[in-house]
Amino acid sequence: MTTITVDSRGTACPGPITDLIRAYRKAANGDVIELLATDVGIKSDAKAWCDRTKNELVNITESDGTYKTVIKIVSKRENRDT
Amino acid sequence: MKKITVIGAGTGGAIVANSLARNLKKEIQKGQVQVTVFDGAKYHEFQPAYLGVAFRGSNKNAIKRPIRSLLHPDVKLINENCSEINLANEFVVGEKPGQRIDFDYIVIALGCKPDPGQIPGLTEANLDFHTNAQASSIVYDRISKFKGGKIVTGITGLPYKCPPSPNESTFLLHEFFTKKGIRDRVKLSFITPYLRPYPAEPISEVIEPLYKERNIETVLGFNVDSVDPVKKKVFSVEGESVSYDELFLVPPHATPNVIRKAEFSDDEGWVVVDKRDLHVKNYDYAFAIGDNTNLPISKAGVEAHLEGIVVANNISAEIKGISERYLFTGRFQCTMETGFHKATFVVGTYQKPVKKIYPSFANYVKKKIMSKIYWNAELGKCEWLFKLNFGKDYYDVIRDGKTAAPAARAIPN
Repeated sequence: MTTITVDSRGTACPGPITDLIRAYRKAANGDVIELLATDVGIKSDAKAWCDRTKNELVNITESDGTYKTVIKIVSKRENRDT
Repeated sequence: MKKITVIGAGTGGAIVANSLARNLKKEIQKGQVQVTVFDGAKYHEFQPAYLGVAFRGSNKNAIKRPIRSLLHPDVKLINENCSEINLANEFVVGEKPGQRIDFDYIVIALGCKPDPGQIPGLTEANLDFHTNAQASSIVYDRISKFKGGKIVTGITGLPYKCPPSPNESTFLLHEFFTKKGIRDRVKLSFITPYLRPYPAEPISEVIEPLYKERNIETVLGFNVDSVDPVKKKVFSVEGESVSYDELFLVPPHATPNVIRKAEFSDDEGWVVVDKRDLHVKNYDYAFAIGDNTNLPISKAGVEAHLEGIVVANNISAEIKGISERYLFTGRFQCTMETGFHKATFVVGTYQKPVKKIYPSFANYVKKKIMSKIYWNAELGKCEWLFKLNFGKDYYDVIRDGKTAAPAARAIPN
């Protein structure tokens, strides 16, 4: 398991969700993505994104204007079967 | 002599080279400065016109000019690609081994290009309107023969240049088949990894009703993993699938090999720059502009243009001993055609978020004006118009020279 930290602080929508999608592409099941953002929109976006992609939203915390979103990746299919 | 090397003669590279030639005209004539551009291509294509070639059948030969014709006479053009960029030792190497050219300043403006190989099956299955005029013309041939079925458009990976282009391709397909009278026989489906049809919410709220009114399906939160060209299905990383008869997706993008694995690029191959003065991290005499940077803004021509103006000014100012420096405001501006002679704009800066702008004929006319003046703009003949249009977003100025100036050289650790 790897923890991937993504720093999107200072970017407005759609910066944080863009960075999350890019990190997700590189992640494997079991990895954890920690997304740091200052745009409050990430709170609703991250919840909706986890619902849609069926990944696990561990928590969202706020400290000094920075939102830390922790997501566990669980929904990637392991093998391509096209 | 101060040697300034510009790598790439696209939108940003031409702007920065031509601006340097104008700013440093006396110094160049005295033999104190030399501006050299590297580019292996013979022609420069106006990339926003690819959509017209692909979906309206515009003349593919009318959207290109010889690179030499777009450069100031005082700019030296080396018509080959660079095989190595060595920032620490201040030299580049052309296509011929051992052809080492030293520089005092360098501007990296190589752009990025579609890299369909990142998605298994995409190269075989997809027709690309996003790479060059020739490929775009093949799309028009294909849709002209299309009798009915399902066409899938959209986004396969991030980042990609010209963020509105996947939406535009969809709207222009709707326009094409509506005019042809067979829209009811064509199902259009738009796939995107985002949770809304356009990444920025205000613009998404503007265009979402168009998708509904026009009966265009949106498949949101769809992260493309692979394509099966035989079964004609696109698969997501979660295992969902979307079937198609024709596929016109925008591939993921990548930088050219010469910078993709360079020590000055990030782990995905984008050049790491200061978002305000655009110097390459650890190198105060090296700059990068346009699509090949890691800047957190859209990849499009306006950004490359404005970044080029900033960098050209700052290099010129340092050579002339002037303290005034420019800083990039993060201004981005992309036109989005919504079909039937209407368009909206996606506009913002680092500080100003995107706002709602509704599609209008006036916006469409502005886009057409830009396509008419583009070649003169590259030569710097329309800079007054850009300055007028962008106002305070054109650039920021600092006059104390301390905060962001490309001052003393910093040799990397």
